[in-house]
Amino acid sequence: MTEPLLSLREVAKTFGETVALAPTTLTIDEGSFVAIVGPSGCGKSTLFNVIAGLLTPDGGDVLLRDRPVTGSTGHVGYMLQKDLLVPWRTVEDNITMAKRLTGRVTAEDRAEARRMARAYGLGEFLRHYPSALSGGMRQRVAFMRTLMTHQSLLLLDEPFGALDAQTRLEMQQWLLQVWRDAQRTVLFITHDVDESIFLADRVVVMSPRPGRVVADFTSPLARPRTLDMLTEGHFIELKGRVMHLLHGGAT
Amino acid sequence: MSAPGRRRAGLVARNVGVPILSLVLVLVLWQLIVVGFHVASYVAPRPREAILSVTQNWSLLWPLVLGTIRETVYGFVVGAALGFFLGVIMAKVPFLQGLVYPVLVLSQAIPIIALAAPLVLILGFSTAPKIVIVAWIVFFPVTVNVIDGLSHVDRDLLNLAKVYGASRWRTFWQIEIPATSTPLFSGLKIGATYAVTGAIIGELAASDGSSLALYQEHANSNLNTAAVYGTTMVMTAIGISWFLLVVGVEVFATPWRRRTVARRWPWRRDRDDVAQ
Repeated sequence: MTEPLLSLREVAKTFGETVALAPTTLTIDEGSFVAIVGPSGCGKSTLFNVIAGLLTPDGGDVLLRDRPVTGSTGHVGYMLQKDLLVPWRTVEDNITMAKRLTGRVTAEDRAEARRMARAYGLGEFLRHYPSALSGGMRQRVAFMRTLMTHQSLLLLDEPFGALDAQTRLEMQQWLLQVWRDAQRTVLFITHDVDESIFLADRVVVMSPRPGRVVADFTSPLARPRTLDMLTEGHFIELKGRVMHLLHGGAT
Repeated sequence: MSAPGRRRAGLVARNVGVPILSLVLVLVLWQLIVVGFHVASYVAPRPREAILSVTQNWSLLWPLVLGTIRETVYGFVVGAALGFFLGVIMAKVPFLQGLVYPVLVLSQAIPIIALAAPLVLILGFSTAPKIVIVAWIVFFPVTVNVIDGLSHVDRDLLNLAKVYGASRWRTFWQIEIPATSTPLFSGLKIGATYAVTGAIIGELAASDGSSLALYQEHANSNLNTAAVYGTTMVMTAIGISWFLLVVGVEVFATPWRRRTVARRWPWRRDRDDVAQ
């Protein structure tokens, strides 16, 4: 579990005059859950798009298992706040979307999609169109679609940002359960400090102008995570430190 | 009746019953105006006379109707295919869009009737000039809507496909085309309503022998007003039928717009069972 899966070496990106991302070096271990917190404009999404290959950095390398993947796509699972389910496909067909876009959807893929949907509470909705689902259910489908890319590294960009507080809490617990079963590496963007500490092994704090990493904390919480940890002393203490970094002396 | 059954019956009543009712209302209004204002029968017949003029001459009319349908359908298919192709090309190549768009607008500014004469010179008095006229009318709304649809596909969705490593071809067929279905069908429906008009204009301007349009002209010169109205009704019926057919295809092709659960196909159920 300590092999580095992803390494960023001095990755930087500038748009015109704006330094979206100052040279950044970051290593993500295989099987870990790393959260990136920061205010908007801190370069989180730029960082993600560079890792995913949607953006080519001005300098630096992106290495996946020591293989350079800078500026190329097809090596990560990717999920946004917008679920991006296609309305013309059923839940099952949305889950298998990655295979449909890159190869052929086999009977095994379908069986796997169905198994996953049943295991994680969507078994009755396999033949439904996404329009029939609630926001939380749609994000679950989107996450299963991300898992079905069969990529080791999953990039989740504020996946629960549009959900209400109650649903968001349920989804966080759900995500931890699925993550434990699926044994993947997760890089999770959020601006919710509670969410980052509750979910992750590591909390990377970023700051804007220029976008850069300013701190890298290890979460003091044991696994499995439970809701009462949200009020534990360790949790509150780390939250205070992160908040201080994000909001400066104001807190 | 079950709740969904009732809902379905309500939908059928609204989608079929109400249009039929409005059709009946038009006929009633027509009857009332002709009778109420004592309109002479050589100016306007009563609905019954117009309908009889069609049914009594059906054996004569039917081959002409078939001819008009053929021109409409062929012209529509050619126009829709061309319109789709142009729309895709123009949406994908901005330079071509800038170059071709003004020409397309120009093509629609030409009065169709003025187009008929040169078309006859080029293609003769065959079915070809009518097909060209219908296609000329149909392609434009399709092209405009396809360009519009393709340029408004969610960028994030396209990026997602890219992150997955999808080829442009796959992305096009799996994402962009289904995402364009609503504007595409809008264009097709507009085209479908005008297609018959195009066919009739073509028949008027480019027929040497028999055609529905000439039949009407003939009736007109014989002061057979009932047949003039009757023929108009037939032309309208062809137009409405074609429009409804396109709507039917749309309903069938886009089930996700009105269903919450996908249809079950007998040939797909097997695959599902095997996979389990």
